[in-house]
Formats: sequence, structure tokens, C-alpha cells
Amino acid sequence: MTDVVLLVIRSLRNSLRTPAALIPNVAISIFFLFVFNYGLASVADLPGFKGSYLAFIIPVSIVSASVGGAGSAGQALVRDIESGYFTKLLLTPSPRLALIWGPMIAGAILLVGQVVLILALGLAIGLDSATGAAGLLVVLMYAFLWGMAFAGYAVFVALKTKNGAAAEAATFAFFPLIFLSTTFVPKEYIAATWLKWAATVNPTTYIYDAMRSLLIDGWRATPLLIGLGVVLAFGTLTGLLALRQARRSTQLG
Amino acid sequence: MRTEGDIVSESVEDRSILAEGLVRSFGDLRAVDGVDLAIESGRIFGFLGPNGSGKSTTVKTLTTILAPTSGVARVAGFDVTKEQSEVRSRIGVALQEVGLDDLMTARELLTLQARLFGVDSIKARRAAEHLLETVGLGRVETKKRVGAYSGGMRRRLDLALALVNGPQILFLDEPTTGLDPVSRKDIWNEVRRLNREEGMTIFLTTQYLEEADQLADEVAIIDRGKIVAQGTPRELKKEIGEEVVTLTFASARAAGRAADALRSMAPEQRVAGNEVICYFTSAADKLPGIVRALDEAGIALEALKLMEPSLDDVFLRATGQRLEVQEEQE
Repeated sequence: MTDVVLLVIRSLRNSLRTPAALIPNVAISIFFLFVFNYGLASVADLPGFKGSYLAFIIPVSIVSASVGGAGSAGQALVRDIESGYFTKLLLTPSPRLALIWGPMIAGAILLVGQVVLILALGLAIGLDSATGAAGLLVVLMYAFLWGMAFAGYAVFVALKTKNGAAAEAATFAFFPLIFLSTTFVPKEYIAATWLKWAATVNPTTYIYDAMRSLLIDGWRATPLLIGLGVVLAFGTLTGLLALRQARRSTQLG
Repeated sequence: MRTEGDIVSESVEDRSILAEGLVRSFGDLRAVDGVDLAIESGRIFGFLGPNGSGKSTTVKTLTTILAPTSGVARVAGFDVTKEQSEVRSRIGVALQEVGLDDLMTARELLTLQARLFGVDSIKARRAAEHLLETVGLGRVETKKRVGAYSGGMRRRLDLALALVNGPQILFLDEPTTGLDPVSRKDIWNEVRRLNREEGMTIFLTTQYLEEADQLADEVAIIDRGKIVAQGTPRELKKEIGEEVVTLTFASARAAGRAADALRSMAPEQRVAGNEVICYFTSAADKLPGIVRALDEAGIALEALKLMEPSLDDVFLRATGQRLEVQEEQE
């Protein structure tokens, strides 16, 4: 456990020393928040639409932040592999799991920092959470878990390719997932059958549902539990992939 | 019935690095091809070979970075495949490629590495300061990040990282490649000190013959994944004769003709480029005959050198090629 904490601190410190790598991701999330909120606000006037459009669109900004934030975990790992420092870490008695959890947890913590900023901006422009401050903390928890899950994927790709550009490209290949979902309107307003189907099988939909239920509806167990189940399942899958790849990469060279 | 593992275990107490039939393949390529090693505690072992001969792969296999394809190896008494954590706790490794995080400072790197070896925070910081002094980086600005270090400073910091856990065995993979002569001598002095004062067994790979000759108690020469000669430098040199005569000609063709002309007079010989190298127990009484034979064959001799054998002669005899040539090309 101590090793994980040490490696998380190291990853966070390195990230803060390269702010240029963090700023674009934060800027994109804030851009989404403002553009979608002010550009598509009239969606909220549709009959049957519940709550404000700001509360509806904020989870999109959060999930988009998670893709970029998770990518930073993969990038950090590729940088270590390319510089030879990862080999130095492999020569310590530290468990292999700690070596990949370090950048993953650091990536998720950075994501939480970004989400705090997004929520603060949201509150500043009129966000009114139906579950109050406690609900916002649960939103942060979902963001952390979703960030961890994405970070697992990013770490898997980084270890598999050992190439910075490939890892970045593979991370952004996930970006369309954000939009093949209930991104801009609730599912009942989606007309195209294929998009409705895509939104149903897309795990992102359930993360949106969980966060939106907290911000718009209040405490409802069903969307929260489904969202938690989806994020844990996705996280377990990507975590296992990352661990398996770490074992392969470190044992078979 | 005895297995490979049993054979190794029997003699583990008085050997710090042991390998039997060690093989490491990458696809069809056997980078390490049946290497046997028995290195006693407290020795400096020189592992000599040209680029791509299997030196670094052997080091990576012995240090648990790469799993062996087959064979057995025990380092500090522990199996490199089954007891990796125990091996890692007892070894220090400075690979050919310096592995540092450019965003961190030297103190941060050393402290983190010590902590990952289970050292508590206060002792880790103290160890970092001590090691920085030891490798001559104690006066470097505290906040200077490693990315701003010169090549020599990076190499020294890498060595400090390898020492952070107070290892019993230190693996140094071409520690002086690319360094200037002064930095190279500094590393040699540090290697000698660690061996003498700390009692560390040192496994040193190098392609510099002088380095192996200066430092190593025992040397092995590896070529295409196989060990082709092993022993103390003195033993290895003695094996090939007391004296070496190097004859230089205008061309490789002339050298080939000369080798044929001298075959009966100098049966122990090698041709390397435009040189013919002959090995004798006593060469002085052979020289007039050599010159005469070449004269009769009409082959012009450009230069003649009479020397004691060097490790390069050992290398040439074992592999059919000179290592010095590659050293000069770098």
C-alpha cells in the first residue's frame, strides 16, 4: 500500500510540473460545458424535459474530462518506459500492481480536480443540485471511478504499444463513445433507432444517468446502482487487462 | 534423479551468481545460448563481448528483468524465476541505458527508490544524501531536475540508484560506455572501492578490454550468446602463449598469403584484416626465420610487433575477430 501511495505522489508531482499537458484537457471540458449549455439550452424547453439543461450537460463535460485525464496515466507510463525509468522501478521489490496503480490513481485524482473545477463553474453559472453538496460528492466519486476505469484502458494500451503516439490515439478512439449516447438529449428524444440502440449498449449512458439523477431528480437508487455496477464492471475489465499486460510486458520483455 | 535445480542448490553457499544452461530467446534468435556461470562471492567478474553478443540480455535475465527461456540461475542464493523479490532486494543494477525520470530531482529519485526497497522516510533521505556525496553529486543544486544533468552526471546518478538498497551484488552493464577518460577512471575507482570496502560481488559487462583487464578478477568472453573463454585474465593470456608476434601487411590478401607461408613455423596463428598474429612460448628465436620465410615468399612486411598477449589476443583467438577494432570505431 505504501508503494502505491509513493508512486501516486510521484505521478501527481510530475503532472503538476508539466501543466502544459493538463491545460488542454481542462480547456476542452470547460469549452464543452459553455458551448453546449448556451448553444443547446432550448432543448430544456421540449415538453417533458426535466430540470435545467446545465444539470443535464455537466456530466458530458465530466466524462469528456475523464477520457483526457485517463490518457495522462498512459502517457506517464509510456514516458517511463521510453526513458528506461520503468525498468528501474521493476528492479525494486515493489509489487507489479503498485507500479501500474500509481499512475492510474494519480490520473483519477487529477480528473477529480478537474471535475471540482467544472462543478464550481457550473455552480457559478446557476447549477442547482437536487441532492445538494452530498450529491456533488457522489458525482465526484463516479468521476473518480470512471477515471480509474479509463486509466486502466490507457495503461493497458501504453504497456501493449510502448509508444506515446499510439497510446494517445487509442485513448482518443474512445472519444466517440461520449457522443453515441444520451449526450445532448434524453433517450426518449432520440429519433434514430441505431443511435438509440448505441445509447442503450454504451456504458457511458449509465454514468450520465447516475450523475443526472443526482443533479436533477434527487436520491434514486436504480440509476445510481446501475451506474455503479457499470463503472465497476468496466473498471474491473480494464484493470485486469492492464494487469495482465503488465505481467506480460515485465516477464516476457 | 538429479534435476538442474538440485545441481545448482548444492553449491549455492559459496557462489553468489550461478547459472546453468541459461537460454533466452527472442523468437528464433537465441540471444543467450546455454550460458554457465559460477561466480564466487566478493569477486569482480568481467563479461566481455562485442555489441549484440548477449551481454546485456544475460544481465537482464540474471536481474529478473527478463525471464529465462530455459536453464537455471541463482543470484545471491535465490532462483531468478521463482524468488524474484528476494533477488531484487539483494542486487543493484545499472543498465547500459540510464533509466532516470527527467522531471524529478536526484534527491527525489534516490529517496523514492530507497522507499520502494522498504527503507523508512528519514533513512531514505539520509541514504540519498550519502549516495549523492559518494558519486560526486552532493554539491549539485538541490532543485535541479535530472533532465538538466550532463551525460556523466546521469551515469553517476544511475550508479547511485543501483546502490540505494546496499546490494550484495552489483550488476553494471557497460558502465563507462560513452564516458570521457576522467569519468571512466572515476567509475573504475568507485567499482574497486565498492568491491574492497563493501565486499560487493560485481558483475561488469564491457566491450573495453582495458576495463576488464584493470578491474576483473575473472573474465568470460561471450560471442553470439555462448561463452567462448573463461578464467582470470592472467590464465586466459597464458593459455595462448607467452609472447605474441603481430605482423602487418599492405593488404588482407598479403596477410593471407603470409599466414600460409608461416603455417609450419607458427602453427598457432590468426589472421585479422591485414595482420597475422602468431602465438609463441618464446618468440625471439623465431623472428629471423619469420622474416626470412616472408622474404623467400616475396611478401613485403610493413611492421612487426613483439608483445605479451592482451585480452584482445584472447578475444581474437576465441572468436576469430578483434574487439579493439570496434572500440576504436565508437
